[in-house]
This record gives sequence, C-alpha cells and structure tokens, in this order.
Amino acid sequence: MIGLFYKDLLVLRKQMRTYLLFILVYGVLVIKDVFPLSVLSGLVVLMGMMLPMTSFSYDDLARWDKYAASLPTGRRGIVAGKYLLSLFCTGISGLIVLVLLIALWAVGLSEENLMDLSLTVLASIGITLLINAVILPLLIKFGAEKSRIISTILFVTVFGGVMLAGTLLKQSDPSFTLPAWITDSFPVLLGVFCLGAFAVSYSISIGIMARKEL
Amino acid sequence: MSNLLELKHVTKDYGSFKLEDVSFTLPGGTILGLIGENGAGKSTTIKCILNLVHQDSGSIRIFGQDNSGSNWREDIGLVLDESTFHDLLRGEDVGKILSKSYKHWDADLFARYLKQFDLPGGKEIKTYSKGMKTKLSIAAALSHHPRLLLLDEATSGLDPVVRDEILDEFLTFIQDEDHAILISSHITSDLEKAADYITYLHRGRVALQGGKDELLESYGRLVCTKAQLDGVDRGFVVGTRSSQFQCEALIQKRCDFQRIYPGLTVDPVTLEEIMVFTVRGDAK
Repeated sequence: MIGLFYKDLLVLRKQMRTYLLFILVYGVLVIKDVFPLSVLSGLVVLMGMMLPMTSFSYDDLARWDKYAASLPTGRRGIVAGKYLLSLFCTGISGLIVLVLLIALWAVGLSEENLMDLSLTVLASIGITLLINAVILPLLIKFGAEKSRIISTILFVTVFGGVMLAGTLLKQSDPSFTLPAWITDSFPVLLGVFCLGAFAVSYSISIGIMARKEL
Repeated sequence: MSNLLELKHVTKDYGSFKLEDVSFTLPGGTILGLIGENGAGKSTTIKCILNLVHQDSGSIRIFGQDNSGSNWREDIGLVLDESTFHDLLRGEDVGKILSKSYKHWDADLFARYLKQFDLPGGKEIKTYSKGMKTKLSIAAALSHHPRLLLLDEATSGLDPVVRDEILDEFLTFIQDEDHAILISSHITSDLEKAADYITYLHRGRVALQGGKDELLESYGRLVCTKAQLDGVDRGFVVGTRSSQFQCEALIQKRCDFQRIYPGLTVDPVTLEEIMVFTVRGDAK
C-alpha cells in the first residue's frame, strides 16, 4: 500500500506544485482584498477532491491496476492506497490553508476570530472527506472518465435537492429554524458523519475492487 | 522437480469469447511457452492465473497454493503485454516504488539491469521506446528475486539482438530448479530457442501441448501433389494448404507416417508452421 501511495505522490508531484501555487496566488489576492478570506477554504475541497481523481485518470491511462493488483498487497492495497492518498491530500491542503489563514489573521487581515477560521477549515476538510466518500467507490467501479459524469449528476441532484427542500421549508414555515442542539453540536456531528461515511465508503470500495475484472 | 504452477480445467466465459478447459503444469527449472494466434486466450489465461479475472470453473495453484490467496504474489515476476508504468515516472522511480512493495527488492540488482539494458534511469518513461519500456518491465520483474516469471508477449517489442540477450537472461534464471517461466508469445522462434514445454491455444482451447522437442519431432511438413495427398490417410493430416502446383500438409505421428508412406518426404516443422496449419485446418 505504501508503494502505491508513493507512486501516486510521484505521479502527482507536478499537480501538487501547481495547487500549492494556486493557494499562494489566492493568498495574495485575499491580501489585496480581491477575494474574501473564506475562498481559501474552498481550495481545500478543490485539492482534496481533484488530486485523487487525477491519480485515477493517470492509472486508467497507464492501465496500472492490473499490474498493481499483482503486487504483494493485491487489490486491497490499491484501495487502501487511494484512500490514504485522499486523506493525505485533504489533510495537507487543510494544513497549508490553516497556516495561511493564521498568518493572515496574525497580520490583522481578518476580523474573524481564530476559532471560527479554524472551524471553517475543519468543515472544508469534513466536506472533502464526504465528497471523496461518494466519489472514490465510483472511481474504483467505473474509472475516472465515467465517474466524472456520474458524480456531477449525483452532486447536482443531491445539492440541488437539499437547496430546494430548504427553500420549500422556509416558504411553508418562515419561522422554521433548526433545533438548538443541532446547531450547537453541528461541528461534532459533521465530523462524526464525515469520518463514518469515509469508513463505510472504504468497505464498499474493497467489495467493489474484489469483484472487479481487471 | 515440483510444479510451480498448475492449471486444471480452467474456464472463463466472456460471452463473445470463451477460454475452455485449459489445463497445464509448469515444473521447476523449465520454461513453458504459451502460443496461439491473437485472441486465442493467452492473455486471458495469464489474467486467470493472476486472479485479475475470476475463472468460472477449474482450479489454479501457484507454488501449491490456490491462486485466490495472496501469499504467492511476493514470488511472482510479471511482465504484461504493454507497459503499465506511468509515462510521468522516471525509470529509477519504478525502483523506488517497488522497493516499498516487495520485501526482497534488490536495489543494486535493479540498478545493474538498468545499466545492462541501457535504460536512462533519470529520464521520464514517456521518452522511452516500446522496447525500452519492455526492458524496464523485465528489470522490474527480475529485481525482487522471484521464483516464477509470468511474461505476456514480453519479447514482442524488442529487436532480435535484445531478444536474444533477454532470452539468455531467462535461461540463466531457470538454472535454479526452484524457478520457472511461463511465457506467452506469438513469436514462436523465441520459444523454439528457450521453451521446454509448449501449450498451443486456439480459439480458447488447448489445441496442442507437450514437450517442445517431442512436438517438433512428432509433426512434419509433407510437400506433395494433390493426387498424392488424396491418397493419404486423413488421420495423419492436421492441416493443408494448396497452390496451383503443389500441396503442403501438416502431418502428425511422423514416424508412423513415414513407415506407411516411405515414398513421400516429410520435412521437419517449426512451431509457427504447426500454428498456421492448425488454424487453416480448423478453418476448413
């Protein structure tokens, strides 16, 4: 698994440098007041989602999986390597953005308190894990090309559905608010839910890969 | 001499193509050549062995263990029919990746193969020719001291000089009685040089198998007139091809044939001729 993870890091090194540059450029644009500070959290989602997806594209192009499945770690190693990559990309991008946010806050470029900024980054990490929990089994089952289309349709449907349900709820009952216990414990609930979804997703992917014909 | 690989009645049905009832064994210290025309089932057989596709029936044992386990993977060296290493990687990156994948990876041996095969380790694989990519795959397959090499069309992209060099490497590899090689190829001349056993797949079934020398001895090529061919017992004839002036036929049980038909000349035959005649005979 470590070998396969290391392979992904080597293959993605150019993309990683590009995304790092993105973060720095956006950091400068935030300093120049072109974008709000929160845009940096969006980059966590972008990096954490796009890098694993790109690694699947490269694997498909090289027909890597049939070689990788013959290595000592077998099919399970392929899945474990991809989930580790996903965690790594999400974690490292979250860490870089958090450091940048703290630096910008320290020089007085943000009026928000440090805890709120940190929670924003943690929420981005959680959402990225959630998105990857949905995308990774699709990528393993269908490959990079088909998965892009399927996941786009899926996200438009799910997020569109949630937005629509929220709007309809507001229209039918303008005084509607979520119960206090939900809003108070939202960060914890989101964290538990995202980690749980990621773990369930891993089990599903192991099952998909075990049955896949390579 | 124990069997490193055993296939018994392996069947895999894709609908449009069926690999059917394939059985063979590969003893230690030997090379088995898997031959057959394109689409005959050579790659499917190797995929079944590696458990990359799930066979519908039959059993496959590697080093005496069922192939559904994974303990055997550490001792397998694999070269697939196309390079599976990413173009963005450098030759030396492959060594670094595999050193983290195999317990017995030998970095010095890999470096030695890169040098022996004239492969620039610092360059990206996208700059390699097809032959160089194949050589890189062979270097990777040999550098963790495997016991069994599975080679799918491993010599097809190489020039004759390098092919010869690689075949020598394979012959050295099987000097150890605990090593064996399964090599699929449609370049039958390579297998005539190196293989001890031949299994010929035709349309997903084993058309012919046995010791290479015995096969080449028991088959022959008869060149005669149409009238002479018509007089021959059809039980001897595997396949024929005719032109305006003469007929050619692949004859089996050559010794028996020459005893019965002393007036007809039967020439030695190559594996390629056995393949061509069998396909033609089947087409008729």
